[in-house]
Amino acid sequence: MSLPSRLHSFASSLFHRAELDRNMEAEFRFHFDKYAEQLIQSGIAPDEARRRARLELGSLATQKENCRRSLGLRLWDELIADIRFGVRMLRKSPAFAIIAVLSLALGIGVNTTIFTLAKSVLLDRLQVPDPDQLRLLSWTSGKNFAMESLWGNFSDEGGAAHSSSFSYPVYKALRNQTNMFQPLFAFKDISQMTATVDGRAEAIYGELVSGNFYDGMRIHPALGRGISPADDVEGKANVAVLSDAFWARHFARSPDVIGKTININLLPVTIVGVNHPSFTGAEMSRFPEVFLPLSAQPTFLPRGKTGNLLTDPNSWWLQIIGRRIDSPNVSDSALESALDTPFLQVVKSTVTIKEGHDDLPHIRVQPGRRGLDYAKEEFIRPIYVLIALVVFVLLIACANLANLLLARSTARQREMSVRVAMGASRMRVVRQVVTESLLLSLAGGVGGVILGYLLRNLLPRLSSNPWEGIGLHPRFDLYVILFTLGVSVVTGLLLSIPQAFQGRREDVSSGLKEGTRSTASGHNFASKALVIFQISVSLVLLFGAGLFLKTLSNLRAAPIGFQPDRIVLFEIDPPRSRYTPEASLPLHQKILDALVAVPGVQSATLSSDPLVAQDSSINRFQRNDRPKDSKAEAWENNVGSNFFQTLQIPILAGRSFSSSDILTSPKVAIINQKLAHKYFADENPIGKTFNKEKYEIVGVCGDTKYEDLKSEAPPTFFLPYTQSFEANVTYEVRTFATGAEILKSLQQAVATVDKDLPLIHIRTQNEQIDATLSGQRIFALLTSAFGVLALILACIGIYGIMAYTVTRRTNEIGIRMALGAPRSKVLRMILGEASILTIIGVVIGVVTSLFLARLVTTMLYGLKPSDPAALSSAAFVLVAIALVAGWLPARRASQVDPMDALRHE
Amino acid sequence: MGQMDVLQGTLDMLILKAVSLGPLHGYGVLLRIQQISGDQLEIQQGSLYPALYRLEHQGWLASDWGESDNNRRAKFYRLTAQGRRRFNAELEKWNRMSDLMASILSTRPEEV
Repeated sequence: MSLPSRLHSFASSLFHRAELDRNMEAEFRFHFDKYAEQLIQSGIAPDEARRRARLELGSLATQKENCRRSLGLRLWDELIADIRFGVRMLRKSPAFAIIAVLSLALGIGVNTTIFTLAKSVLLDRLQVPDPDQLRLLSWTSGKNFAMESLWGNFSDEGGAAHSSSFSYPVYKALRNQTNMFQPLFAFKDISQMTATVDGRAEAIYGELVSGNFYDGMRIHPALGRGISPADDVEGKANVAVLSDAFWARHFARSPDVIGKTININLLPVTIVGVNHPSFTGAEMSRFPEVFLPLSAQPTFLPRGKTGNLLTDPNSWWLQIIGRRIDSPNVSDSALESALDTPFLQVVKSTVTIKEGHDDLPHIRVQPGRRGLDYAKEEFIRPIYVLIALVVFVLLIACANLANLLLARSTARQREMSVRVAMGASRMRVVRQVVTESLLLSLAGGVGGVILGYLLRNLLPRLSSNPWEGIGLHPRFDLYVILFTLGVSVVTGLLLSIPQAFQGRREDVSSGLKEGTRSTASGHNFASKALVIFQISVSLVLLFGAGLFLKTLSNLRAAPIGFQPDRIVLFEIDPPRSRYTPEASLPLHQKILDALVAVPGVQSATLSSDPLVAQDSSINRFQRNDRPKDSKAEAWENNVGSNFFQTLQIPILAGRSFSSSDILTSPKVAIINQKLAHKYFADENPIGKTFNKEKYEIVGVCGDTKYEDLKSEAPPTFFLPYTQSFEANVTYEVRTFATGAEILKSLQQAVATVDKDLPLIHIRTQNEQIDATLSGQRIFALLTSAFGVLALILACIGIYGIMAYTVTRRTNEIGIRMALGAPRSKVLRMILGEASILTIIGVVIGVVTSLFLARLVTTMLYGLKPSDPAALSSAAFVLVAIALVAGWLPARRASQVDPMDALRHE
Repeated sequence: MGQMDVLQGTLDMLILKAVSLGPLHGYGVLLRIQQISGDQLEIQQGSLYPALYRLEHQGWLASDWGESDNNRRAKFYRLTAQGRRRFNAELEKWNRMSDLMASILSTRPEEV
């Protein structure tokens, strides 16, 4: 028996059904005619001959069915019949069908949405050929590592340092070191560059790439050429490749863009190419818009002591990626050991190793299919919580629908019994049930795909700031559709389980009897279990909503230590290609003067780190009158002289900064209470000095939140920016009024100082604080919405089951009342039954909640994951609502007229 | 009854044999089997076509539409190469089995 021939015949009979039918009929007709002819020849009368031929051959329909069965089409034919029948049944009750499909579409749609997001955070790969061959290099070392200056990602866990930043000399030495890799290539994402097109300056995200980057990634620009090795030579680096988005925004996709000149950090570059829309840089979830050769760094982005990182072996900043050769015999650890020796050699021969900082690094080879990947770390926990949430929502929708289906199938009991009595096997009946459930869930799945497509950008939008743009662009692709299909099938199977079980319990003869109720207990048990399940899941969601809402309000109510109203924030990043660190001091002073002169401005200041903006700088803190303690550290902020007045942070002792604290005057500092408390205890800190610069403490200020609202105010010292060189600063401007006009005046004021300086990330301090709460807000919103949805569904469930119980027991209730039971007792009896269901559900829900809540501990603020108030209010709400839902049928039961009830049967 | 009914399973063998002698339409298969059995075998007309379709589905028979003796369109079945191999294998099995059965059934008490 050959499989291909079977498949072929199966497929051709499926897809050419009409032709197959015609052929069969022609064949049987031929046979019939021939046979009849023979009979006539043997002397039988024509009519009689035809009758006998028909008898012998059997009916045409039976013959056809038997032949189709021989072709292996039986299952298929039955499936088609089941589907037809299912569709007909659904058409007969369109209200039910619509409710079922909509609730499933909702349940499946939210799952599709979250999957799309989860996929982009966890699974999506760089859109380059064979991304699985890519490897990202990184290093680990003891925590006293030798690298003096690190720019880029760095983690310090369990006493080991880990980073993917390398120095340029290391890259150069490793580039052609092993033949297990194709030549290594390198890149660096630059989070802020100023691009000036047609006189308008804009802050953009950029990427520096090595000359062999485009070859290594195997990508080709959509227009022009990529960065080539010939560009990656200092002095020839004035070329740029644009992203598709930048090209569309500034050049309206005109092909004439090649050869045009734009300014990057105020220096001209020639556009040589435009990237394909699918390629968005070597970092997941970042979208660089201008690509420059690495050799552009010294001129366009001077940094470090000499401004030139390419010759500096002590600055580690560059990301290195390799495309490994395709050989299954070479493991990643073999790649590591092949690179480690030359790596150590070049580290030893180039890096200045100081005493106490002599832990040598070792190379690590990580998967590079997602390039440099921050998104995963950042979003993985919230994603898991979201997945749990939407699975709960789907389960509730399923439970509700399963209950509806059960009620329907009770109504269809006779039909099922008739089928079994007519000889349908149990399996056949169950298959019919499964087919109908799948029909519903697949229709829901189609709705889910549509919903998921419409909502695909909702969460990234909710979680991002208006002034920074969206960090995630989930790709809605075939995998999403396959996922939804899978979820729909699983949903359909889940839906059919209760009915299938019920079908098994059924007794044919009793099912056929008129008005019988022998199987009602089976239906009742499954329904009750489903209602209990719904109640417990609702409790979990309501409890989660309580936790996140309380966290949000706790965070909002947390004292922040400064007055955030009517403060406008924006950053100014004077390019070092125009302003040396020394030149940026007078620049900032000029800008401050210009800002204060704007009508409507109360006061203006600046700081190296804006408050509550997830920025932080940590520095060593070493009192000069104490022995050296290498572990002592404190948070640092470089601020303008009237920083404390502008933000209304109280000075508790000593003085504030003044305009006489300048570069040449003695170095001064102000510390906050936390730091005073930590390092000076009961001593008076005023007049004490710290660190090797011998900063003298001149004042103590009140504590303020620093990085975000969640963390306690850290020990912080403030330095006047006039005594340090801080180029990239955030301005804080307190205005009398808010609005677009004042923003315009501020922009004009800065333009009078230097028209090429863009105001970056303009927002108010309150918007800034709100943005740090986006995560909590999303969870509060989603858990509340889902919780309420679950509550409504659970109510319907309780109402349905109780109403059904009352109808079923009308007779019994009538007897009870006829025998003298008071109405109140009947009411209590029915309510008692509803309460038992609710209490069981609540108890299960409480246990589940307490178990699950531990997983979100780190996402909460100001309350424990077992917060009794949240738990008891969720339980209270559920019990109250459940009793209301149970009360309606209970009242109806208590108003039963015994005479009517007894006649009811 | 002068005619024997055909056992399930042997029908396949009979059809393959009939068709191995030359392409035939369905009715022709019926006639040929009756003819070579000397009208000893009666084939249920209802079970002939399902068997033909099954054999074709399994790839042992192939079919073409052609002209019958009186110029009517008819579906002719023929043996495929695969079907011929299969038929030979089945035939050998059949022969061995019937020899075995014959020798078992003809065993006399003193031979045991």
